[in-house]
Amino acid sequence: MTPPWSRLELPPFLERLRVLTVKELLQLGRDVGLIAFIAYAFTGDIYVAGSGMQMQLRNATIAIYDGDDSAASRELIGRFHPPEFRIQALLSDAQDGLRLLDQGRTMIMLDIPSQFERDLSARQQTAVQLQVDASNSVIGTWAAAYATQIAATFGTDHAMGGMPTEAAMPIIASHHRIWFNPNSMDEWFVPIIEMMNIVTMLSIMLPAAAMVREKERGTIEQLLVSPLTPIQIMLPKVLAMALVILLGITSSIVMLRYVFAAPIRGSLPLFYAVSLVYVITTSGLGLAIATLVNNLAQVGMAVILALAPIMLLSGTWVPAEGMPPGIRWLMYISPLHYYVEITLGIFLRGTGLDMLWNHLLIMTLLGLVMFTIGLLRFRAQLR
Amino acid sequence: MNLKRLEATAAKEIREMLRDRFFLILAFVSPPVMMVIFGYGMNLDVENIPFVIVDYDNTPQSREYASHYTHSRYFHFLGYVKDQREAQQLILRARIRVAIVIPEHFGRRLAQGRSTAIQTLMDGANPLRANMTKSYIIAINSQVSLQQVTDFMATVRGIPRREAETMLQPVRLEVRYLYNQGAKSRWSMVPKMIMMVLMMAPPFLTAVAVVREKERGSILNIYSSTVTKAEFLIGKLSPYAAVTAINGLVLWALATQLFAVPFKGSFLFFVLATMAYTSCTTGIGLLVSLFVSTQAAAIVVTMIVTLIPAMLYSGIIIPLSSMGPVPRFLALLTPAMHYTQIVDGTFLKGQGLLELWRPLVVLAGYGMALFVIGHRLFTKRPRA
Repeated sequence: MTPPWSRLELPPFLERLRVLTVKELLQLGRDVGLIAFIAYAFTGDIYVAGSGMQMQLRNATIAIYDGDDSAASRELIGRFHPPEFRIQALLSDAQDGLRLLDQGRTMIMLDIPSQFERDLSARQQTAVQLQVDASNSVIGTWAAAYATQIAATFGTDHAMGGMPTEAAMPIIASHHRIWFNPNSMDEWFVPIIEMMNIVTMLSIMLPAAAMVREKERGTIEQLLVSPLTPIQIMLPKVLAMALVILLGITSSIVMLRYVFAAPIRGSLPLFYAVSLVYVITTSGLGLAIATLVNNLAQVGMAVILALAPIMLLSGTWVPAEGMPPGIRWLMYISPLHYYVEITLGIFLRGTGLDMLWNHLLIMTLLGLVMFTIGLLRFRAQLR
Repeated sequence: MNLKRLEATAAKEIREMLRDRFFLILAFVSPPVMMVIFGYGMNLDVENIPFVIVDYDNTPQSREYASHYTHSRYFHFLGYVKDQREAQQLILRARIRVAIVIPEHFGRRLAQGRSTAIQTLMDGANPLRANMTKSYIIAINSQVSLQQVTDFMATVRGIPRREAETMLQPVRLEVRYLYNQGAKSRWSMVPKMIMMVLMMAPPFLTAVAVVREKERGSILNIYSSTVTKAEFLIGKLSPYAAVTAINGLVLWALATQLFAVPFKGSFLFFVLATMAYTSCTTGIGLLVSLFVSTQAAAIVVTMIVTLIPAMLYSGIIIPLSSMGPVPRFLALLTPAMHYTQIVDGTFLKGQGLLELWRPLVVLAGYGMALFVIGHRLFTKRPRA
């Protein structure tokens, strides 16, 4: 039985493209292990990345040595409470705290001196020690900043006892309006970033692997003797992979929307269009890699090597402003950097094409350069 | 176990590796390159946050307040804008991350000893940075408040400023950073990058090495030969484990020499633990290779099963003790987390076997278990 679309007369160029794309899809579809893991990457992996990752100060573990054991010291201790802090141990000996820190079982140790309450009532300044494990410097300094805040508020509250109320004091209150992600829901940020990383990885990897496999098995010879131009060999691979990746993106979006309840504030068609452009242009890098290497093991190493800086320079973990100036310029030529900005814009900020067009333009131009290099190298190699 | 056959398998693998020059270069060059890139670039310190100020007050006091931000290394001042609407546009375009809005009568209210409020608009798309930014702003506001209140009290009560200060701040918190006195991001990050890099390359090398034989059909030679399963697997994997161990030493040298991170613990112990970790990462590669039949699949699978857990569940971003039950469970399952304890302990805390025997035992056991499972699953009589 012939499927209905086979009767459709296509110009030879498109017809060849169609046939080869179908061939690529069939070949990919028969690699069950690969398909299963692509499916896992777009769903399970994103779920793992998104659940339980928090990027706030949460449950910073604290061990407390209370040398005073007075009403005042207990009140101070009471202010180190969840969700920011979790009291891990109340120590009877300050030395135990250092041991817990060494073992990594607590992150902070608070040491309240014995004359704490006496000093407070005598209106003398009293010092409280805080030891912080800075082997994770970001969280360490953050927790220290929070603790400083707590101690300061405690001190002021104590001093203000029986004095005029806050309204009559020249105090500056902090009112924050956090946009786009008001409760700082990390569940949204991390999986969205992860989805983009996976899209990048697959759009470099899959075409490169498809191309090198032909080389390795020798089937490229068949393609070379056929009446196909290099672009007709190359494009179907890219198209087939793009189709698979867009399907993957769809399953990720379903996850984001229904499992993580992420708001998709902007236009989804726009996101698909941008992703298609991104996937196709990024595959140029994969094809360029494919021309440099001879077997799949090399593809893997080269892809890992290329991927590490691309992900790092994407501005997801470390945005441009956090980079040294030299590296910052490298970021501006990373297409993923723009893809991330556009995607966060569409998903979280709800921005449209009117504000994102310049990012899209740069991303497309950079991608075209990459794709052209890939195509030129590929053609040069076939000759 | 016949040592001669094992040797032959290993020799064959080494020769194959040496003859593939490109692969050899990648195997030895890519780990140090990644280490350098990550070491310089993976800086999670939140600094130079681009921001603007909307000053509805425009008095000496408001400008004085603004100077706390403009002179801070945490913030990068891009100028004053005339109203909130303009600031919002800049946030939408991702040009700035924060806008500080100083209200009308800010200076006058403070001078009269009345409270006022600063409004901040923040881009929350990246929650880690938004939260850090928020904590900086709160810190600046309380610092300025304290100065204001101190001045106010001093004038109202007619006491010296110093005395008012002690009165308002009776508790002084003395913070001491252990293991990393300057709380340097690089000291904390670079040793953990050894863990990342050794998690990325080796599993993939081993997975591809086994799957390559499957895909090319040369594994049939093994099936029909007298080489036992264990001999084949050990002979096959040990060259890659050796490559990884050498890389581990190179990475150690980079961390201590190029990035000047102090190494305070026992070197011998570090080498031992790195070997145990290597056995885990090559073991992961082995398991992957048994489940997939093509090299392309092997590459994708190893990347997915190694990269994300190493990044998110190893303690690079949040420490194990702060994790919730589910992430904690996942973290305990990843060798990366146990090895992170070892690198932190040996580099920064000056520890050795005495303090770190537990993660070492876990890693060694993990590696053994992977190998035993691999041995059980590998069969010389595959079903057609």
